[in-house]
Amino acid sequence: MDVKAKKRSVVPFGPQHPVLPEPIHLDLVLEDEKVVDVIPSIGFIHRGLEELVNRRDFNQYVYIAERTCGICSFGHGLGYVEAVEKLMNVEVPVRAKYLRTIWGEMGRIHSHLLWAGLMADAFGFENLFYQCWRLREKNLDLVEMTTGGRLIYSVNKVGGVLKDITPDMQKVILNNLSEIEVELKDIYKTFTTDYSVLERTRGVGVLTKEQVHDLGACGPYARASGVERDIRQLGYEAYGDLDFEPVVSTDGDNFARCDVRLREVFQSIDLIRQAIAKMPAETDLSVPVKGNPDGEALVRIEQPRGEAVYYVEGNGTKFLNRFRLRTPTFANIPAMCETMKGCNYADIPLLVVTIDPCISCTER
Amino acid sequence: MRILMPILFLLLAPLAGGLLDGMDRKISARMQRRVGPPILQPFYDVQKLFAKQRIVVTNSQTFLMITYMVLIIFTGCMFYSGVDMLMCFFMLSTAGIFLYFSAVVTDSPYSYIGGQRELFQEMCCEPAVLLTALGFYILEGSFQTSDLIKADRSAILALPGFFVAFLFILTIKMRKSPFDESTSHHPHQELVKGVTTELGGSNLALFQITEWYENVLMLSVVALFILNKNPWSILCAVLVVLATYFLEILIDNTSARMKSQKMLQLSWAVTIAAAGVNLVILILVR
Amino acid sequence: MGAKFTPKQTLRVIEKEGLLREVMVMKSRHMRLSQACASYKDGHYELSYSFADDETMDYETLRVNVGLAERVPSIHNFYSCASYYENEMRELFGVKIELIEPDYRNKFYRIKAETPFLPEDAKAEQKKEEAEISLNGADSDLDQEQAARDEKQAEKDAAAKKAADEKKAAAAAEKAAKKGAQ
Repeated sequence: MDVKAKKRSVVPFGPQHPVLPEPIHLDLVLEDEKVVDVIPSIGFIHRGLEELVNRRDFNQYVYIAERTCGICSFGHGLGYVEAVEKLMNVEVPVRAKYLRTIWGEMGRIHSHLLWAGLMADAFGFENLFYQCWRLREKNLDLVEMTTGGRLIYSVNKVGGVLKDITPDMQKVILNNLSEIEVELKDIYKTFTTDYSVLERTRGVGVLTKEQVHDLGACGPYARASGVERDIRQLGYEAYGDLDFEPVVSTDGDNFARCDVRLREVFQSIDLIRQAIAKMPAETDLSVPVKGNPDGEALVRIEQPRGEAVYYVEGNGTKFLNRFRLRTPTFANIPAMCETMKGCNYADIPLLVVTIDPCISCTER
Repeated sequence: MRILMPILFLLLAPLAGGLLDGMDRKISARMQRRVGPPILQPFYDVQKLFAKQRIVVTNSQTFLMITYMVLIIFTGCMFYSGVDMLMCFFMLSTAGIFLYFSAVVTDSPYSYIGGQRELFQEMCCEPAVLLTALGFYILEGSFQTSDLIKADRSAILALPGFFVAFLFILTIKMRKSPFDESTSHHPHQELVKGVTTELGGSNLALFQITEWYENVLMLSVVALFILNKNPWSILCAVLVVLATYFLEILIDNTSARMKSQKMLQLSWAVTIAAAGVNLVILILVR
Repeated sequence: MGAKFTPKQTLRVIEKEGLLREVMVMKSRHMRLSQACASYKDGHYELSYSFADDETMDYETLRVNVGLAERVPSIHNFYSCASYYENEMRELFGVKIELIEPDYRNKFYRIKAETPFLPEDAKAEQKKEEAEISLNGADSDLDQEQAARDEKQAEKDAAAKKAADEKKAAAAAEKAAKKGAQ
């Protein structure tokens, strides 16, 4: 049959659409309800944060880097300070490294639970959505107790951290984590065994390992397709001392992505426990930093959404010449578009949500 | 009776439908551990919608919407006046066509696809609905609802399969998750609000009231399975209807939204398995 | 326990002419394009293309230094995901990257400012250098291809604009006619 003879319609999807958590625009070319082509466009919330680095002291910029995103804010702050510390050859106290690890994992739990809620909402399971977000609240309480903020932690600085986690707090953290773990098991069971959920996730949006590699996807999205790559294995901060393996699934479909992300929450809980147990008792949380950054440094860290690349270039003044942040979502968008070709229109929200899009940090 | 009942339906159905809707929202909220809106919230909503400025995409939409409403109300009145049940069901399908038209006269792709899915849903429901009518006919020898309620014993005893099939498609008819394909109570689906995306103000209010009428009508069919000549069966029927509604809310809250193809497969499979088998047994036993 | 990997991180400065060849080598070595970015330093652009090896976690960066008005070929033929990075570079820094596919034509980010990340003095310098090049008439095949594409797109834009205008005019006329009838 002649392709052109079929009736095609273009459905504009986004930037404002109730199922989209973030403003991304997709022009979907449909044949009945089958998607034959998709043209993505972003660019609705570009703020030019990278350029601000020319006008802010490199110490002040930590707070701007954190505000790139509301969900992985700690990771962005961490990536920036790590890059600057690498540039200036600063060795951070070990306890600060452990604290950063703990907060980083709390950020991951927060991000993944938020995502699980959005995913449940995308396939129309309201109760599951509420359950996930209620659980996330417990984690936010921990963050608030330890840092004073709920989303923007603001505890990083070049050379260390600003706050400590006292033994009392550690007890509360361990207690809350156990509660989260128990409830999360129920949620995990629903995501992986409920008939109606499996109907929407199994076999939908399959990406092979090869495709993931060619399209440059990263993070849990890539691990769901069998790519055993977790940047935390590089051993930055305290990850080198902790025992963990990347969470991998081989199916490459929506189900695998749910599975990987939820299992990563269990892993994060385990990592926080390990870190609390191994954390040395030091009093110094930071080292003084002298001089101005010069030269360039490139750092990779594993954000909740995947590999993020931080590149800084100094010029010997207190202002950096260039700060570059490549967010995981930026790398995942091409793969997302690939999964959409040939899928059913009803799968589109799920396929958008499974990359865990964070467009505001993508555009910076 | 033939005049009183339709008038009662005309006046009380939106009240009952609205209250059920309010309870639905309250119970759903409780299931999600929220407080939820007051029971009367649906009435406040409709009142507010009527107060809004009237903006329509195309003028024909208002006409189509009113026709849809009048047809549904008329069907309900016919049902309660005790005429041919088969006729009622055909009228109901006709009303659905007008909803489809009101969706596709707009340029909105969401509304358009929603309209197509509305037809698709009709296709999923129709076998079960027609088989239900047929089941009653084989059992009582009449399509007249006035005859059916005078039966010696409740129809559900002989027609359990039909009852199951009808309950299944009730989820589709009431536009509840997992089968809220054409439009949903929560706009969080790929079609935004599907057929109702382009409705606003008084037109949306009309749609809302029509939905209450339709829900009451569908639940009346459920009641028909229970009713017999014993007056106590009325109380029993009310309880069964409330239980049915609760079941719908429960299903709504414990399942993900299905895709339309799956809806077709499941609804036809259940219809054939439950109602079909029941039908064969019914014919053999007689 | 220690880190599970001891990856190498390298940076290699290469000539612009060798870019496509080096990228091809990376592709054949099964490296993943991790990121690409531009920065402006001392009157020229520094383009960095970073490739990651997922087996050993090695990280290699190719660095190309190009002048403000110099043209750079797109690498999307080797790595399709590169076009997003290239669109970004061109829009924010004004790097002259040719034949990107898909080409967002400086509308990747919907911002009004042109090349906002490039300092003001550099913008003036870039204009000057561009004028020189067009005076000298240095036309490579790439330039011609890009020019042909630009022309085609311009025609398309004009046609779309014309259609939109006509539609508007028709709607206005219809409105007027309705008014007259009343």
